[in-house]
Amino acid sequence: MTAIYSIFGRISETIEKLAAIHRLLPWILAFALLLPLPQILSALFNDYYIYLANKICIFILLSVGLNIVKGFCGQVTVGHVGLYAIGAVSSALISLHFGWSFWLAFPIGILAAGLAGIVVGLPSVRLEGAYLALATLGLGESVRIMIAVTPLFGSSTGLLSIPAPTIGSFTFDSYTNYYYLVLAAAMIGIYLSFSILRSATGRAFMAVREDTVAAAVHGVNVTKYKLLAFVISALYAGAAGGLFAHMPPGYIHHNNFTIIEMVTLLLMIVLGGIGHIWGGIIGAIIVTIIYDQTLEFYFYQPLLFGLTMVLIVIFMPRGIGGMIDRYLATKKFIASQEEKSNAAS
Amino acid sequence: MPLLETVDLSKSFGGLRAISNLNINIEAGSIHGLIGPNGSGKSTFFNLVTGVYQPDPGSKIIFNGHDITKSASHDIGALGIARTFQLLRLFSEMTVLQNLMVGYHTHVPYGFMSTIFNNSAVVKKDAETKSEMMELLELIGMADYADMPASELSGGQRRLVALGRAMAMRPKLLMLDEPAAGLSPVNVDNLLSIVMALKQRFGLTVLIVEHILKVVMETCDTVTVLDYGEKIGEGSPDAVKDDHAVIEAYLGQEMDDDEVRKAFNS
Ligand SMILES: Nc1ncnc2c1ncn2[C@@H]1O[C@H](COP(=O)(O)OP(=O)(O)O)[C@@H](O)[C@H]1O
Ligand SMILES: [Mg+2]
Repeated sequence: MTAIYSIFGRISETIEKLAAIHRLLPWILAFALLLPLPQILSALFNDYYIYLANKICIFILLSVGLNIVKGFCGQVTVGHVGLYAIGAVSSALISLHFGWSFWLAFPIGILAAGLAGIVVGLPSVRLEGAYLALATLGLGESVRIMIAVTPLFGSSTGLLSIPAPTIGSFTFDSYTNYYYLVLAAAMIGIYLSFSILRSATGRAFMAVREDTVAAAVHGVNVTKYKLLAFVISALYAGAAGGLFAHMPPGYIHHNNFTIIEMVTLLLMIVLGGIGHIWGGIIGAIIVTIIYDQTLEFYFYQPLLFGLTMVLIVIFMPRGIGGMIDRYLATKKFIASQEEKSNAAS
Repeated sequence: MPLLETVDLSKSFGGLRAISNLNINIEAGSIHGLIGPNGSGKSTFFNLVTGVYQPDPGSKIIFNGHDITKSASHDIGALGIARTFQLLRLFSEMTVLQNLMVGYHTHVPYGFMSTIFNNSAVVKKDAETKSEMMELLELIGMADYADMPASELSGGQRRLVALGRAMAMRPKLLMLDEPAAGLSPVNVDNLLSIVMALKQRFGLTVLIVEHILKVVMETCDTVTVLDYGEKIGEGSPDAVKDDHAVIEAYLGQEMDDDEVRKAFNS
């Protein structure tokens, strides 16, 4: 266990050192290191794992977005999958029906999800906890049902042949090629979440989560920040949806947006540590792999994941990220105290 | 002109009148004490002034020339009123430094969009804020704990963080709701000397609710006494101490003069 901790300690120290040279350096390096992953995966395992890498990147975007509204701002939402669906269907429809390029359809899908995010967020102004969960669940499920019953949105057959994005003559039409796109998107998403969350905005989100009355008294406009968190998380969900829709083979179906996906998403941020950026990402990687490996037990997944979540909440309430954080903070505190007593003696 | 003025301030909870036609003036630069038995409406007064509760119709609250009767809490905070809570209400899962940084929220010199489009400026501004907050933590003697989650602090340390978080707002008026509750006598003295130092340094006006009467008598310029939501006495500590209505309401009728004197002095 301490070995794992110290690995994370080492990594975070290295990142800090690199960032001291230039803020973007760790990101560019990480991107470069992750770029040959499809080739490595196909050499070590098989091509299925390249597909899985694509899916992980998409789920990282979903998890990072959900972490902003749920983990940082403390707003219970079970509507995130609905926003994911809106991003996917909007982007798919725009490219299928208008023949517009991915590069237009994708941002429009993101904006559509962002607008829907305001609607999903509005109940949070009045409701809390279980009531808010029910309200957002209703909104999210109604999106899925609307897709399921409307032929234009695919209904029971789903939307087929959603075109792959292209840049010049390069087409993102294989899992290897598409991986470059989703990797870039996930990295940008992670980078932006750091920028947002490690600023006054992120601190205001956390203050709202911890205590709305104290937050308000200290100058935080609680309603504004709740809605902002919902909208930002919706933009992430919309981006994930668009990327999912255009991923080979370019097929989406309302079964991709069920409550099972929502439970999976919640498990990611609970396992990773509510309100912990890296934790949410680690959670997304682990849970996406488990989710895919247990697909044959599709019907038991909600039960399996729900129970796991309850166990984590009881026995590991801060998740993986919280445990690592606490370890590092304690170590830092002890070191600073030792330094002091050394200086004194 | 007083810094804070309430006119006919009232608040009912159902049939209960927690605050009743209260007129209070708090003079700029003073230390104003608010005392009264449990349930007399002291915390309710704080909640009304800071927008946590809405006053009854006909009430008026004026701060520094602004009518804040119907203002939202965050706007009142931005105008320069900071407060602590009787039950502290710290942001438990945030670090001590982050608690103070939230207190600084209304002074943050950048908006949301710059976090995305001009993040290097944001990082730079935050670093400046951090060192300013660290100075404040030095003043309250909590700098060593800057990176600790507030939930892991002792009761006395938590009281200091609540004070620091309020001070991070750079307030004109600092309202303290039983800041010394549960502290040992040594810690009470420490907290008071910190409050006095902060007042001097930042030119604060202070409103303090305190149960330890000795504290009120020694530090306050003016004392207002509440009972059942009504003002039953006001004046200098010495005048209030000798007011019979106050003594009766506050300490009960059974005490003789000696006992009263003892209560006020110990
Ligand atoms: N939110 C509330 N709802 C109902 N009654 C309240 C509420 N807040 C305070 N009260 C009542 O108002 C009265 C004054 O309470 P409070 O201001 O807390 O007194 P103090 O701070 O002087 O001890 C008490 O009777 C209390 O029960
Ligand atoms: Mg009280």
